[in-house]
Amino acid sequence: MKMPAGMDIERLYDEHAQPLYAFLLNFTRDEADTRDLLQEIFVKLARTPELLDGIREERAFLIRLAHNAAIDLMRRRGTRDQTRENFAAEMMSPFAPASDPDETVFREKLAAALGELPADQRAVVHLKLWEGLTFEQIASALEIPPNTAASRYRYGLDKLRDRLRPLYEEMKKAE
Amino acid sequence: MMNDEMEQFESRLSRLPLRKIPGEWRGEILAAANFCLSPPVTRRSFLSTFNHQLSTLLWPHPKAWAGLAAVWVFIFALNFSMRDSSPRLAAKSAPPSPEVMVELKQQQRMFAELVGSYEAPDADRRKIFPPKPHSERVEILAG
Repeated sequence: MKMPAGMDIERLYDEHAQPLYAFLLNFTRDEADTRDLLQEIFVKLARTPELLDGIREERAFLIRLAHNAAIDLMRRRGTRDQTRENFAAEMMSPFAPASDPDETVFREKLAAALGELPADQRAVVHLKLWEGLTFEQIASALEIPPNTAASRYRYGLDKLRDRLRPLYEEMKKAE
Repeated sequence: MMNDEMEQFESRLSRLPLRKIPGEWRGEILAAANFCLSPPVTRRSFLSTFNHQLSTLLWPHPKAWAGLAAVWVFIFALNFSMRDSSPRLAAKSAPPSPEVMVELKQQQRMFAELVGSYEAPDADRRKIFPPKPHSERVEILAG
């Protein structure tokens, strides 16, 4: 069963490319790598449209593809980029630039703190906070039990809060 | 208290806008994806390419081109048949023997006598036309 040329792939792109981009950028912290992975996903869908047969939640399925592609990339990067990942703060932030200097600092610190999270926690935190998925949906997308998704989220969020607490408190006082 | 603080923190983070996907990527990525959707380009063999080119060329007046081709085929066939037969004939016909030549000359002479326009060989001709002045020779020819 072939996908009608140029129709479904465009709809898929328009509906899902933005969240996939943000998710992938949070992993790679590199725009070129993110583009490559995104293209890889859509080319794969174009080549094998039957991948989507019987899929009820397209978003969850596409996130799974993106997650697997990101994990593969990180493995390929190897030791050299383990170091690179640790300096994620110096790399491209997944957040939009802010006009307020305090907000800019907060976003930079948050991006760096996210970069320090293990990949599995980072994925769950991203999907819960910025995609608004439930733990069941996250579990389905990442092929993990819902309890595991919930616990990874809790661990990840605790780390972020600890890391950002001084700045966050300061900003709260200023508000 | 702790839960409230956590919820506020979560809420604060979730409101942060994410970076937008560059608009120019859409065209590039979809072009790459659509390229995979299009049927693979089949490599044509030389013959099929030639056939295609030929049919494109001949399409406007196929009957006229077919007629022209038939004429050329006929000319070539004729040319080849003539070229083939002439050396064969030459090879088959051995040079005639002297007896045959004498016989042939006799038959020619008899035929000429019967017809009445036999031209004698050079030796006989000398007898018929002995050397005379030019003026007399002209009279003989005229008579």
